[in-house]
Amino acid sequence: MKNQNAADNGQLTKKAVSQPAKVTIRKIPTGVRGLDDILGGGIPEFSFNVIAGSPGSGKTTMAHQILFANATVKTPALYFTVLGEPALKMLRYQQQFSFFDESKLGKAVRFINLSDLVLNQDLNAVLAEIIKQVTAANPGLVVVDSFRTVMRKALATAGEIEMQSFIQQLTQFLTSWEATTFLVGEYGEEEARGNPLFTIADGLFWLSQKVERNSVVRKLQILKVRGQDSVPGLHTVRISDAGLQAFSRTLGFERKKTHPARRRRLSMGIPDLDKMMGGGVLEGDSLLIAGPSGTGKTALATQFIAAGLRNGEPAIMAIFEERPKGYTDRADSFGLNLKTPLKQGKLEILYLRPLDLSVDETMQEILDAVKRVDAKRLVIDSLVSLEMALAPGFREDFRESLYRLIVALTGAGVTILSTVEVEDAFTGFSFSHYTISFLTDDIIRMRYVEIDGQLRKVMVVIKMRGGNHSKDIREYVITNKGVVVIHPRSTDYDGLTTGIPTRTGPRKAQEEETAPEPKAKK
Amino acid sequence: MAQTIFSTRNPQMRDFAKRLIAYEIRANKSSGTKALAAFPVCEKLRPHLANLMGNNGFRALLSRALVRAEADVPSLRSMQVKADGSLAGLDKLEVQASPEELARGSVVLVAQLLGLLVAFIGEALTLRLVREVWPKLSVNDLDFGKGDKK
Repeated sequence: MKNQNAADNGQLTKKAVSQPAKVTIRKIPTGVRGLDDILGGGIPEFSFNVIAGSPGSGKTTMAHQILFANATVKTPALYFTVLGEPALKMLRYQQQFSFFDESKLGKAVRFINLSDLVLNQDLNAVLAEIIKQVTAANPGLVVVDSFRTVMRKALATAGEIEMQSFIQQLTQFLTSWEATTFLVGEYGEEEARGNPLFTIADGLFWLSQKVERNSVVRKLQILKVRGQDSVPGLHTVRISDAGLQAFSRTLGFERKKTHPARRRRLSMGIPDLDKMMGGGVLEGDSLLIAGPSGTGKTALATQFIAAGLRNGEPAIMAIFEERPKGYTDRADSFGLNLKTPLKQGKLEILYLRPLDLSVDETMQEILDAVKRVDAKRLVIDSLVSLEMALAPGFREDFRESLYRLIVALTGAGVTILSTVEVEDAFTGFSFSHYTISFLTDDIIRMRYVEIDGQLRKVMVVIKMRGGNHSKDIREYVITNKGVVVIHPRSTDYDGLTTGIPTRTGPRKAQEEETAPEPKAKK
Repeated sequence: MAQTIFSTRNPQMRDFAKRLIAYEIRANKSSGTKALAAFPVCEKLRPHLANLMGNNGFRALLSRALVRAEADVPSLRSMQVKADGSLAGLDKLEVQASPEELARGSVVLVAQLLGLLVAFIGEALTLRLVREVWPKLSVNDLDFGKGDKK
C-alpha cells in the first residue's frame, strides 16, 4: 500500500512537472528612466492602460516617450488625437525632448486625428475608424489622447451603458489585436472612484502636480498594474530635456548589501582622530559630524576625502551651499590637492541646485556619480543645506527621506560622511535636531568650549557602532593643515560637554599668546 | 522688416515652393499657366495634414497662409478655404488675374503654407512630411537658412 502511495505520489509529481507552463507576460520598456523599476519591470504587453492626471503633469510626454521607445516600422505605434492638443502642436513641443526621434515619424509613429469624427459622428463611427486604422497598420502600441474627450462626447450624446459598451468593445478589439494601449486623459482624483474605464483598465498611471509655497512637485502613482508587483506610493517625477524621469520612493533599497565580514578601517586624514576612532572609520559606515558653524566640519570632510584619494579611493562630494571652487580652494589652503583628482575623474563635486530638489533626485544624482567614478567615499555637506535645497513639499518627510538616502548609499558600498549644523546650547549636548543619530553608525561631535578666557574647540567620538572608540574629549585647532587634534584629554576640567567647564585642576600660568589658530590661506 | 520664414522674399522657401509646383505640374502634365498651380500642391498636402490636425486644423492653417499670401498678391483675395480645407474661388481668380500673377500667387501661397509648417514643427519634420507626400521629389539640398524663424 505504501509503495502504491509512493507510486501515486511519484505520478502526481511527474504530472505536476509536466503541467504546461503559465503564460509569460512580456514587459515593454517605458523609455522613462526609473518607471520600469516602479512598474515591476515594465508595461505588460497587450495591456490596456490609462494615463490620467491633471493638466501639465506630463501625461502626453509620458505617452510619447513610451511610443518612441518601442515603435518600429515593423511594429508601429498609432497615436489618435481627439480634440485635445492637436498633433501639430504636439510635434512642435515634443520634438524639444531628446527622446523624440524624427526618423520614426510617419512609418513607426503615426498620428491620426479623430477630432472631426468625434465632433460630427457617434461612438460607433469612432470605434469603426479606430478598428479600420488598427487593422490596416497592425500596431504594437496605440494611444488615444485625450480619451476624456471621447468619454464626454459619449456621455453627452449616448448613455452610460453605451459608453461602457464602447470601452468594452475597444478593449476587446485592441487586446485581441495584440496592441498595448494607452488612453490619456485629464481626470481629477475624485473621478477615479466608480469610473468604468478605471475598473476595466489593466494599468492605471496617475500623474499629479502639487504646488507648495513657490515650488511645484510632480508625482506619479501606479494605482494598479495587473499581474505584476509595482512599487506602491507616490513617486517623484521630473520633466527635463530628456522627458519624464521617475524616482521610485524605494530608490536604492534594492542595492542594499550586507557589509563584508571583515571591514577595513579608513583613515580620516587626521592621525589623532583615527586613533580616537580605533583606527579610523569602518568601511561602509555612515558617519555624522555634528557641530555648530565654524567648528571645522567641512575642513574635516575635506581631509576625509583627501585621505581616501591618497589611498586610491575615488570620492564624491555632494554640496548644496558653497560652490565647488570654495572646496578646492579650501583644500589648497590645507595643502590638499583636490583639483588633480577632479581632472582625473577620481573625484566629483556635485553642486546640486538648490530650492526645488527632491531627495529622490538627489539620491539618483549621487548614485549615478558613485557609479561613474566607482566612489568609495562620499561627503554630504551638509544635511541642513540639503534640507534647504529641497522643495518645501519634500521637507516634511526629510527624516524618512534621509533614512532612504543613507540606506541606499551605504547599500552601494560607500562610506558616507555627513555634516550637520547644530546650535551649541550651553546646557545640553545635542547631536542633531533631526533625531537622526539612529541612522548613522558613527557620530563625532564638535563644539565650542570656554576655557581660560578663550573660545576653544573640542571634539569627541560619541558612538561607533562597529567597535570600541576613545571616550576622550580632545581639543583641536584648524591650522594650515586643516583640523589638527592637540593635547591629550584634559583632566583639569569638568563639564566640557556643557561648553562652560569648571576647573578642577590647578590653574596653570597663562602666557600671552597670539591667535592659536592661524586662519587658512585665502 | 527682417526677412522671416513666412516672407515670400525668403528665397529658399520660394524656391522650395517653386520646385513643388513644378513637380506637380510635370506629374499632372498640366501647362500650369492658367490654373492656380498651388491648388494641386495644397490638395496633395490636405489629407496628410488633415490626418495630423483634422480638417478644421488644416483649414485654419491654409486660411492663415492665404491671408499672408494676399498681402503680396492681392488678387488671391478672391479665393476662400472651404470647410473641408479645399480651395474655392479659382474660377473667379483665373478671370481676374494674369498668368504671371497666377504663377506668383501659387508660389507665394505654397511658400506661406510651408513656412507656417516650418515655424510650427520645424524644418526636419516639414521635409519629412513633404517626402511622405512626394517621395520622389529631391529635397536633400534644401536649406531654409538659420535664424529665420519668427
